[in-house]
This record gives sequence, structure tokens and C-alpha cells, in this order.
Amino acid sequence: MLKFILKRLLIIVPMALLVVTVTWVLIRVAPGNFYSTERSLPPAIEENIKKKYGLDQPWYIQYGTMMGNILRLDFGDSLKYQGQSVNEIIARHFPYSAILGLLAYLLALGIGLFAGIVAALKQNSAFDYGSMAAAMLGLSVPNFVLGPLLVLLFSLYLYWLPPARWGGPLYLIMPVVTLAAIYAAYIARLTRAGMLEVMRSDYIRTARAKGLKESKVLLKHALRGGIIPVVSFTGPALASLLAGTVVVEKVFAIPGLGNIFIQSVLNRDEPLILGIVAFLSILIMVANLIVDISYGFLDPRIRYE
Amino acid sequence: MKRNYTVEARAGVLIVLLTFLITSCSTQATTQYWGQIDPPQDNKMRYITGSEPESLDPSYVTGQPEARILIGLYDRLVEYHPKTMSPIPALATHWEANEKGDVYTFHLRENGKFSNGDPIKAQDFVWSFQRALSPELASRYGFLGYDIKYAEAYNAGKAFVKKDGKFVRVKGAEGTEPDQENATEEGDNEEQTADSETTAQAAPSNEEEGCTFTAPECVTVAGDEESRNEAAAEDEELKALIEGAEFVPVEAKHLGVEAPDDFTVRVTLKQSAPYFVGLLTHQFFAVVHRPTIEEHGKDWIKPENIVTSGSYKLKEWKPYDSMTIEKDPNNWDAANVKLDEITFYPMDEQPTMMNIYKAGRVDALYNHTVPAAWNEYIRQFKDEYLLHPEMSIEYYTFSVKKPPVDKVEVRRAFSLAIDREALEKFRKTVKKLGNFTPEGIFPDYEKVRTRVFQELLKKEGISEETWGKRYFDPQRACDLMKEAGYTVQPTDGGKCKVTDFPADQMTISYNTAESNKAVAEFVQAQWRQNLGITVQLKNMEWKTYLDYRSKVEYTGAARAGWVGDYMDPFTFLSQFYTQQNDSSTGWWKEEFDALLEKANNTADPEKRFELLAEAEFMMLQEQPIAPLATQGTSWMKKPYVKGMYPNPGTMHPWKFVYIEEDRNKWDANVDGIMTDYTDPAVEAQVEALTKTQTDFEASRKQNEESAKAGE
Repeated sequence: MLKFILKRLLIIVPMALLVVTVTWVLIRVAPGNFYSTERSLPPAIEENIKKKYGLDQPWYIQYGTMMGNILRLDFGDSLKYQGQSVNEIIARHFPYSAILGLLAYLLALGIGLFAGIVAALKQNSAFDYGSMAAAMLGLSVPNFVLGPLLVLLFSLYLYWLPPARWGGPLYLIMPVVTLAAIYAAYIARLTRAGMLEVMRSDYIRTARAKGLKESKVLLKHALRGGIIPVVSFTGPALASLLAGTVVVEKVFAIPGLGNIFIQSVLNRDEPLILGIVAFLSILIMVANLIVDISYGFLDPRIRYE
Repeated sequence: MKRNYTVEARAGVLIVLLTFLITSCSTQATTQYWGQIDPPQDNKMRYITGSEPESLDPSYVTGQPEARILIGLYDRLVEYHPKTMSPIPALATHWEANEKGDVYTFHLRENGKFSNGDPIKAQDFVWSFQRALSPELASRYGFLGYDIKYAEAYNAGKAFVKKDGKFVRVKGAEGTEPDQENATEEGDNEEQTADSETTAQAAPSNEEEGCTFTAPECVTVAGDEESRNEAAAEDEELKALIEGAEFVPVEAKHLGVEAPDDFTVRVTLKQSAPYFVGLLTHQFFAVVHRPTIEEHGKDWIKPENIVTSGSYKLKEWKPYDSMTIEKDPNNWDAANVKLDEITFYPMDEQPTMMNIYKAGRVDALYNHTVPAAWNEYIRQFKDEYLLHPEMSIEYYTFSVKKPPVDKVEVRRAFSLAIDREALEKFRKTVKKLGNFTPEGIFPDYEKVRTRVFQELLKKEGISEETWGKRYFDPQRACDLMKEAGYTVQPTDGGKCKVTDFPADQMTISYNTAESNKAVAEFVQAQWRQNLGITVQLKNMEWKTYLDYRSKVEYTGAARAGWVGDYMDPFTFLSQFYTQQNDSSTGWWKEEFDALLEKANNTADPEKRFELLAEAEFMMLQEQPIAPLATQGTSWMKKPYVKGMYPNPGTMHPWKFVYIEEDRNKWDANVDGIMTDYTDPAVEAQVEALTKTQTDFEASRKQNEESAKAGE
């Protein structure tokens, strides 16, 4: 087990470097640069800028410098935002996305698991149909529709909630709900399907035959097996939720990492793009690792060598 | 079981409710104001200014969002007039130009202070200008200062040329002695090189001053050897010039900016530039605090270090969330600064901004914030919606060196085949444009231009009627296509079908944006209807597009917009100035350059405008571009925000802005805000500030007159 974890952790480093390299090439191939505007610059000014940011060096030196910095975990300064280091920007904006993502994740998990389990236990009941219909709706309404609809109702019609920006708990309600909706729907459906399958399996029948209490059958045996599909879904889902979700952050003007990431690409802010890409790829790989490890605890049939 | 149904029922109710809301919001505009309308009680204003500011370094930033914040944070020699944006006194109480118009003297007020209490002196301005133009800062706006003598050379890292111990001066420069000119011509003479050492030791006394900005202009060449030799390989004259010469780098001290005493700033320009004082309203020329920048380097803009010079100082900066500035009690004009605090919210999404505005959580928005689809609805709020002409134009450039638009007839035909009145109706926020400088922005210039154009039309034998129809004239467009050698079949209503036009070589390129797409489709339809030519559309991501267009890689037409930097038509016309111009068309004409240069050497404003109009006419006749529209401001403010005007650049000098609690004094029907009514409080404030300059000019005039009378 320990060996497995170590092995996986070691792979993360070269993988992240590979991702960064590919991204770097993509940025270089894409036309345009961070200083281009509507007005073409006098050549002398362009020279000054290139000299200031080391862009007048040959590409392999630039690549080498960049890689060297990254290995020292220093992504340098943003090209767009003067005097702000990439590390500082990520550290400052990741918490917004993380709080938002974590709350949405917990909400989605709570609603999804509850609805899924109850629907599975009371299969073909009104609750089952109702919640699964709601889940279908949640899956098919994209968040860039749901978000503005909520704003329309609660901020512009009833004037109950602030329409956007980051503030107290009131500000969080709509973005969290918007973000959670689709995940809750997905989790509900996965839980229901997983639970239905497990409930019919032999070991549950055995457990019942042994005379175990129904609650124990459910929580100790059925649930563990039933939520495996949910775990494999929610692991990466958590990573992407934490990483910031562009649409929701844009609609609600939240200063999260997703918002910054999109802007950095539009700005061709190379160090910032690379920094966020490296950060997110590590985040996602770690999340996947955690999912893989948790399989072992949930399903006794899975063992790591 | 009962509970299950309620969940379902609730979901159902919510959906029904939402559907109702969507349908109802388009019909609910019956109240006078849009959404919540309670003025803030704490004298603090909230404003949305656009994207996150990239920096708070006034000489470095280029964006309008930043510019609007920096107007509050840094004072310049002159301030924007809140309505017209023309320069009014700020740190300079008054100023004067010499007769030739190439030396400006600014007299500073003595109570100017930085936010830390340090006095603002002339030397601070000298240093600020030098820093703004330094190659190390690498400001993208460096060219704004290129009118200052040796600014371009300094910014580009150029060097003076010294031969035989003497600086080589520009031929014909004032005060150049004939023997010096000879020296440059015979520079590579063996004999001269031989005794150069002796002459260097015994340099003539007038050479001691070297290449100061008061001396006759010196020749400058590229500073590094490599590019110098590269350029010399193609230029015999340059080759001769640099052979065996010494090179002295142009330094900050050579810039034409000096402080004769603590409260006088003198700026020497390379040539007369009548728009120069107007240019100084720009944040690029703001005064910054030298000790802070020298101590903290790039970190000087951090909230814990920053020292500012404006009517406001930085209170709090939460990137991507908000920035708050507060009234600076140290400012010289603090007594007249009305708001205690202004909070700026960085935001890019139009609907989000509109939502926040409607919910009453901000008091005003920046320009072009009303989404196109909402326009019809928002327009009804006459006390809040500001649609006024803007110093910003939209047009299509032509790739004039590539067929099929390499022929002027074809270009003109395409331009005439766009119905601009229909475009105006379709776009709702713009006004049709038939010239290149925007209409309704420079009234004095426009008066002169109308007259000059009339004269030129007579000369060219073009009837006024034809000219008047340049906004749309399909008949003539067809004739021009015929003149260009294409086969033209007439169709109904004076329109036609050009049968053998290589439509596959003609595209409209634009950067991806809803509005650009709409305009491109509109123009595409126009050309199909009026000329029977179906061109292709090509859209690209912004930065990719910029690269593509500026290298003139496109064929046919490309979308372009231009926002003026200062209140003078030159800020538009200069786009076609010099061979490496910014126009992205490949068009250049020596005569055009000559007219612009002559214009800027003309002190009399009216004569100067005549020459600029002539240049504009020349360019329009060659049609390297098809003008489309003058942009409109299109933003909203709550009626209780006063002293804030839809001026041509959406630049708000914040010290004039205030919040009016008294409902009776709120702004109403803001269509007339610029012309129909005035705000006595703002008028008085502007007048008090302008007084120093008007008094000075009056006394100068009087002195001149009495001097004349004395003779």
C-alpha cells in the first residue's frame, strides 16, 4: 500500500512537468503576446519590453529558465499584473474557489446521497420518480442558465440576495446552489443505480439471512459497495470544483482561480498560465490518488500490490 | 408520501415562477428608475470600471479601466475638464508656449503635496517624465511622450554620433554652423580621421554644451552596434556617417524637460505640437514619488508602500474584488474634493454589472456596459441611460496592397455599398460616420473641416450631392465596380450584381465578439444586396487577430476600432502617419505626412485644422478604410450621482463628482446633460480652477498690447 502511494506520488512530478511543457509550447505557438493591444507598438518600445522580460533570448534559454524556476517552485512574476508573483496570485485566489467548491461539493454530496439512497430503497415510489425527474432537470439545465435565473428571482425581483460579488454567507448561497445542482443530480443518479445493484447482490442477501439489523445491512454493507461509482465520480469532481469553475465565477463576479485562469489565457500571461496549469494538474492527480486509495477501504475486493 | 409530493410541487412552482419572471421582466418598465434607487448615506460612491487593473503605476498602464482609477490617484500638470476633457489647471496654475510653439513653460502651485506630505516640486515632474520614458520601464505608452525633444531617442536607446570630437547635428537644424555641416558630409575623409584626436582635445567651446535640448538638434542612431550596422548595410548615407564615429548614448538628462526653479517646469519639444497641453492630462504624465520608487522598486505600487499625488489615495486593494480610494487630506485641492471614498469593482461580464446596478449596489457603470439586447429596454430610463458621442470610431480597414481591394475604385465601391443609416438603426448605440475623425467630438475642427472639404470638392470636381451620399450610394458603387473593370449587371433600385468579382479572395475578418459578428453579418448582407458579392467572414480570438491584422495578412477587409488618446483630431489622423503606421492597411503617402507635419508646425489653430482637414480628405479619397460609425458612450448612472458626465473618453475627474441626497436636484433626462442644463456647483468649481490660467492669458495679452502701444 505504502509502496503504491509512493510510486504514484513520484509519477506526479514528471507528469506535471510534461503538462507544463506542453502548455508552454501551446502558448508559444499561439499568435499574439501579453503586450499586444489595438495599437501596434513602435518597434523600439517592443524591443524594450522584450528586453525587460527576457523575451529576446533564444527559446531554449527561455525554456530552461522557466523549467529551472518551476523546479524551485517559483513561477516568477505575472506579466500582466505588475509586481505580483504567480505564487502570490494563486495563494490569494485559490481559497475563494476552494471555499465555493467545497461548500458546493458538500451540498451536492448531501442532497445527492440522500436522494439517491432513499430513491433506491423506495424504488418506483413517488419520491423516486420525483427526485429522479428533478435530477434530470438538474443535469440538463446548464449553470450559466441556472445562475442568472436565480439572480433574476432572488436579487432583482425579490431583492433578497446580493446579485454578485464576494461577501458574507448571503453572497455564497446562489453560487453554491448553482454549482452544486449538476453534481447533486449526478450523484443522486449514481447512488441510486449503485445502491440498486448492490441491494440485489448475494452478500446483502447473506447479511439479511444472517439476521442483521436492516440499518446495519444498509450502512455497513450496502452503502460501502453502493457508493463506489459515486467515489470515482466525486474524486475528480472535487478537484475540478476546488480548481474554480469559470462560468459560476464569471456570472457571480467571484475572484476565484477559474476566473483568473481564463483571464490569464486571454492576457497571454505566460507565467501565470503555467503556474495555474501546474497547480491544477497536481491538484487533480492528488485527488485521483485519494480516490484510488479510498477504493481499497470501501471495497474489500480491491487490493493494492 | 405526502412530503414527497411537496418536493415535486415546490420544484414545479419554482419553475413556473422563473418562467413568469423571464417573460414579465420585458414588460415591467413602468417606473421612472431602474431598480433600487437609494443614494448611499455615507458619501461613498461605488463604481464599476472594467477589468482588474494591471498596475497602479500611471506611466506604465495602458487600459481605460486603470486610467479612470488613476485620475483619482495621481495629479498631473493639468486635469480633464469634466465635460469637454480639455485641459484645466491642476498642479500647474498656468502655462505658456513660446512663439514657435515648441517650448512650454508650466508654473506650479506651491502647495502641491504627495499623499505622504512631501511637497511636489518641478524636479518631481522632471524625474517622473524621465522615468516614464526610460527604456527600463518599457512603457507601452512611451510614444505619447515622443513629442518631447530626444524622448524617442532616449526611449529607443539611441546614441548621438560624435565625429572628430564634435557632435553631428541634423542638417538645417537651427543655429547649425555651416562648417559643422561640412564635417558631417566629409566625415569619412582619411585626413579628418587622422587629426580627430587633436580636434577632440581642443573641442570648440560651443561643443561643450553637447547635445542638450537647447542646442541645435543632434543626429541620433541606433544604440547597439548590431542593429546600427544592419541599418547601415542598406543605407549608404548612414554608413558614411557612422564610420569611425564615437557614440554617446542618449540619457535621461538629454530629455527636453527641465526645472529652472522649484516651481517651474519647462518642456522643449522636437517640433511644435499644439495638442501638447491636452496630452498632459493623460496619466502617463502623472507625477510620481521618487524616493518610494527608488526604495521599493517594482513593489512600490503595493498598498503598504504606495505614495500617490492625486485628490484620492489608496485605502484598500483586494485584487479581482474591489479597490477603495479615499480622499487625501494632503492634496492641494482637498477642500473641493466631494466624495469621501470611491470603491471600484473590477468586472467584465455585462449582465453581472447590470444586475449589480439594478440591485442598487453600485452607483454608476463605465461605457459600453449595456448589452446590445437590452438596449431597447434600458433606453426608457431617460434619467439614467447616457448615450452620447464618444471619441471612438469603428471602421473596416482594407488590405490595400493585395487584390481585389488594391484598386481604389473597388475600395470606394465597397465603402459606398454599406447603408450606414441602416447600420445606425441596427446598432442603436452608434452614429453613422463618413469621415475618419469622429463626428460630434471636435466641434471647432468640424467647422473648419466642412469648409475645407467644400473647397476641395470644388477643386476635385465632385458635386456636394455625391459627397453627401457617401454614407450610402449603391448606384455609384456599381459604376465604380464597372470602372474597375468588372462585369456589372444592373438589378432593381440602382443596385447591381458584379458577376466576375473574385469573392473568394475577399473576406471580412474580425475578432470574436457578439457585436463585431453582428456588424460583419450586416455588412456582408449589404454587399450581397447592393453588389451581388458574397464575401466570407472570418473571426479570431483577440490577440491572434491583432497579430494577424497588424501584419496585414488579411485580404479584403478587417474590423478596426480606434479610441483617441487626447482631445485633438491628430490622435486619429496620426494613425496613418509615417511608413510604419498603425493603420493595418499598408497605405502610406508622403504628401499626407507632409500635411500633418506642416499642420503641427502651424501655431494658428484654425490654419492648423485646415491642414489636418486637407490631410483627412486626401486619406478618405484613397479609401484605405471604410468608416462605419462613431461610437456612443452607452452607460448608466443613478440620478443622484452628479458632476459625472458622458464626456468623449469616459474619463471622470473624481473631484467634481458628488452624491445628491435631495431628490429635487437629481439629474433628469440626461440626454441633455451636456447641453440643456448645467450644474452650478460643478461650473463654479471648474471656473475657480480655470481662473489662474484665464487671468494669466488675459494679463499676457494686455502686456503685449501695451508693449505694442508703447512702440
